[in-house]
Amino acid sequence: MKAKRISWKELKNQKFLLICTACFVVYGIIFYYLPLGGWIMAFQNYKTKDGFFDSQWVGFEKFKFLFSDATFLRVIRNTLAMGVLNLVCTFVMAIVFAILLNEVRLAIGKKFVQTVSYLPHFLSWIIVTGILHDALSSSGIINELLVKLGILDTPINFFAHKGYFWPIVAFANVWKETGWNAIVYLAAITSIDPSLYEAATIDGAGRWAKIKNITLPGIRPTIMILLIMNIGNVLNAGFEVQYLLGNGLVKSVSETIDIYTLTWGVSQNDFSLGTAAGIFKSVVAIILIVAANQFAKKTGEQRLF
Amino acid sequence: MKNRKLQRVLALGLLAVMVLALAGCNKKDDGDIKNFTMFIAMAGSEINDDNEIQQIIAEKTGVKVKETWLTGQTAAEAVGSIIAGGDYPDFIDGGDGMMALYDEGVLVPWDEYLDKYPNLKEMYSDKEWDSFRQEDGHIYWANVFQNTYGENRATTHNDEAFWIQVRVLEWAGYPQIKTLDQYFDVLTRFAEANPTFKDADVIPYTALCEDWKYFCIENAPEFLDGYPNDGSVIVDASSGTPTIVDYNTTPTAKKYFQKLNEQYLAGNIDIEFATQTYDEYIAKLSTGRVLGMCDQWWDFAYTVNDVFKQQGLDKLGCNYVPLGLTIEEGMENRWHTYDDTLNNSSGVAVTTSCKDIDAAFKFLNDILDQEIHDLRFWGVEGVDYLVDEDGMYYRTEEMRTKCADPAYQASHLCNYSYMPQWLGTSHDGKNAMQPNEQASEFFDGLAEPLVKCFEAYNADSYPDMIGSVVEHNQPWFPMYSFSNAMTTDTPGGKAWVKMGEVKHEWLPRVVMSSNFESEWNAYMDAYKAANPQNFLDEMQQELNRRVEAAAE
Repeated sequence: MKAKRISWKELKNQKFLLICTACFVVYGIIFYYLPLGGWIMAFQNYKTKDGFFDSQWVGFEKFKFLFSDATFLRVIRNTLAMGVLNLVCTFVMAIVFAILLNEVRLAIGKKFVQTVSYLPHFLSWIIVTGILHDALSSSGIINELLVKLGILDTPINFFAHKGYFWPIVAFANVWKETGWNAIVYLAAITSIDPSLYEAATIDGAGRWAKIKNITLPGIRPTIMILLIMNIGNVLNAGFEVQYLLGNGLVKSVSETIDIYTLTWGVSQNDFSLGTAAGIFKSVVAIILIVAANQFAKKTGEQRLF
Repeated sequence: MKNRKLQRVLALGLLAVMVLALAGCNKKDDGDIKNFTMFIAMAGSEINDDNEIQQIIAEKTGVKVKETWLTGQTAAEAVGSIIAGGDYPDFIDGGDGMMALYDEGVLVPWDEYLDKYPNLKEMYSDKEWDSFRQEDGHIYWANVFQNTYGENRATTHNDEAFWIQVRVLEWAGYPQIKTLDQYFDVLTRFAEANPTFKDADVIPYTALCEDWKYFCIENAPEFLDGYPNDGSVIVDASSGTPTIVDYNTTPTAKKYFQKLNEQYLAGNIDIEFATQTYDEYIAKLSTGRVLGMCDQWWDFAYTVNDVFKQQGLDKLGCNYVPLGLTIEEGMENRWHTYDDTLNNSSGVAVTTSCKDIDAAFKFLNDILDQEIHDLRFWGVEGVDYLVDEDGMYYRTEEMRTKCADPAYQASHLCNYSYMPQWLGTSHDGKNAMQPNEQASEFFDGLAEPLVKCFEAYNADSYPDMIGSVVEHNQPWFPMYSFSNAMTTDTPGGKAWVKMGEVKHEWLPRVVMSSNFESEWNAYMDAYKAANPQNFLDEMQQELNRRVEAAAE
C-alpha cells in the first residue's frame, strides 16, 4: 500500500487537532526528554555543589561498581521476581474477575460489586500498607483467626520471614488493582457482538463454552495490548509497598531497584550511582517491551508498534 | 432569579476566601517578629502554631521558629532529599547528614558570630570549639546536648542500660542483678507468675531494631565487657597504647546473642521485636506490659514516663530503672557517663538560605539567656512552676501531671529542644537548668514504687542505681563522633555502611534462629565480607590522631 501524501489542505482542516497534539509533544519533550540530560550524572562523579559542568568525569566506573555490587544483583533479582509475580497475579485476576462479573445477571449486584472492587485503587499505598501491617501483626486479625481456628499454636510474625514477603506484596497488588484493571476488560466484553452469544445459545453452548469460545477470543486483542504495555512495567515492581513493609530482616528480598536508587542516590548522596541504576532499569524496560512486541508480531497478534 | 441568588452566594464565598487569605497573610508577619524554619532529622512532635510560650519567646526575642521533624524516613534520606531539592530551612540539625550538608557548602560558618554573641561562645571552651572545626578550619554547627553549666545536677541516667520495671524488682524482693542470666531469670519468673497486665499478655523483653536505633540490640556487647559508650568500637587502653577493638566479634557478643536466642526460643522475647517501628515500640512500652529492654534513656523515657504519669501506671510500678549488667559477675561497668559527652559530629546549624543570618545567630544567643531558658524548660512562673521563699523553683503534683500531657505540651510548652541549651545549675546558682535535674523536683515527682526501689538499693538517683565506675572521659571519647560523620567516599566509610546493612539483617536472624551455631557462623561470614577491617583501620587512625591532639 502506497502512503498517501499529506496535502496543505488536509493540514489546514486538521489545524485544531494538530495544535492539540503539539501541546502534548511539547509536554513530552519538557517532562520526558529534557530530564534525560541528567543521565550525564551516571558518567561523572556528580556533586550537587559542582553541577554538571564541574563534576569529575569517571566514564563507566559507576556502572562497574554497580555490577560488582552483590546487593545490586540481588536487587535486580527481587525487582524481576516481584514484577513478574505482580504482573501474573494482577493480570490473571483482572481477566477472571471481569469474566465472572460479566456473568452476573442482576444489574444492581453487578454495579455494586464493581464499584466496591475498584475503590481500593484510590487508596494510597501508605494506607494499604497500614491496613496490611495491622492485619498481619502478631495481634492482628489474621493471626487471631489462625490461632482461634487452631491452625496455629502461637501467632507468627509474617514480616519476619523472607518466604512470605513476595506473596504479601503480590496479594496487596491484587487486592488494590483487580477491580480497576477489570474495567478495561469489561468494556471490551460489552463490545462483543451479542448475536455471537445468541448463535452459540441456539447451538446449545453452555456458559463455560461461551466464555471459552466467544468472550475470551473477543477480548484477546485487548489482553495482548495490555500485556505488552505491562511487560514494559515489570521493573516498576513498586517502591512504596517494599519501602513501607520492608525491615532489616527481609531486606535481602524486599529491596527493589527503586529503593536501591534512593539509598545510594539520596541517602548516601551518590547521585551518579543512583542515576546509573536508573539507566539500567530503563534500558531493561525498553528491551522487554521491544521483545514482547516482536513476539506478538511473530505470532500474528495485536501489537503496540 | 435563581441564578442571581447563586451569583450572590458565589460572590460572598469568594469574598470570604479573600478575607481569610488576607488575614492569613497578616498573621504571617505580626509586628516585627521574624519567622524562621528549622528541620530536625529526628523523630519529634510538632507544637501548635499558636503555642503560648513560643509566642512569649517571640515577643521577647523577635524571632519565632517553626520546627519540623523526621516523619517516616531515615535521617539520611531526609537530608538527602533536602539537598536534592535545594530548598533549605533556616536552621537545621541533620543528625548523621551533617557532613553531607557541609560538603554541599550550604552551612554558615559560626566563627565571627561566636565573638559577637557571648552566650553562644560560653557554651564550649576554646579547645572544645576547636573540635567542631571542619577541614577548612571553620565551625559550622554546635551540639546542644550534654553540656553542663556550673555544678552537675544529673539525677537521671541519660545513657544506655538494660532497664527493668520497678514492679518486677519489688516482686522479686529487690535482688542484686549483675549479669544477663540473672536479668532474664527474674524477668521470666515474674512473667510466669504474672502472665497478664491490664488484660494484655506481658512481654518479658523487647528490642528495637529500626534504622539507626537498632543500637538497642546491637551495641550491648561493648557495655557488657565493661567499656564506655564509644558507640561504634571498643577502645582498649589496657596495654598502654589505646587500640581499637571490634565489639561485634568478641566472645561476649556471641554469648550475648546466644542468650537472646535462647530467650527468644523460650518465648520470652517479643516476637515482633525485629519488625516493629519506633512508634510501635513506644506504644508498646507505654502500655506497661513490657518488663525490660536495652535502650538509651532519652530514646524512650520522656514519652513513656509522661504516659505512665497520665495513666497512673507509675503508681503501679511500671517505671523503668537501669541495671549495670556485665557479662561476668564482679566486673566494673561503664554504662553511665559522668562527664559531658561532646558529640561534635552533629548539632544545630544555620543555612545559607537564611535571609537574616545575624538575626538567626542572635536568636541562638538569646534563648540561652536565663529568663528565656527558664521559659523553655520550666515554663511560665505561677502557671507551670512556683518559687518558694528561698528562690527555689518547684511544681505541684497538678502542674507535673499537666506538663506531662501531650496536648498541653503542644499548646503551651515550647522547649526548642534541638536549640542550644544547658544542663547543670542555673545562673542564679540555686536552681537546676532543667526541672528533671532539680533534686527536690526529682524526688517529689517520683512515684512511690520508684522511691521504695531506690531506698531498697540505697540509691539517691538513677546513676546510683546503675553503679558505674566514677571516672573522667578519656580524651578520645566518644569515638562514634567520628564514625557518625563518615561518608562513602572512603573504603572505611563504605565498609561502615555495609557492616550496618549486614547487622541490620543478621542480628535479628541470629536471635530468631533455631540453630544458633550455624546461623552465627553464617553471620560472621557475611560480616567479614563487608570488610570491617577497612573501617577499623580508619577508626584506629582517628584514635591515634585524637590521642596525639590531646597530648599537645
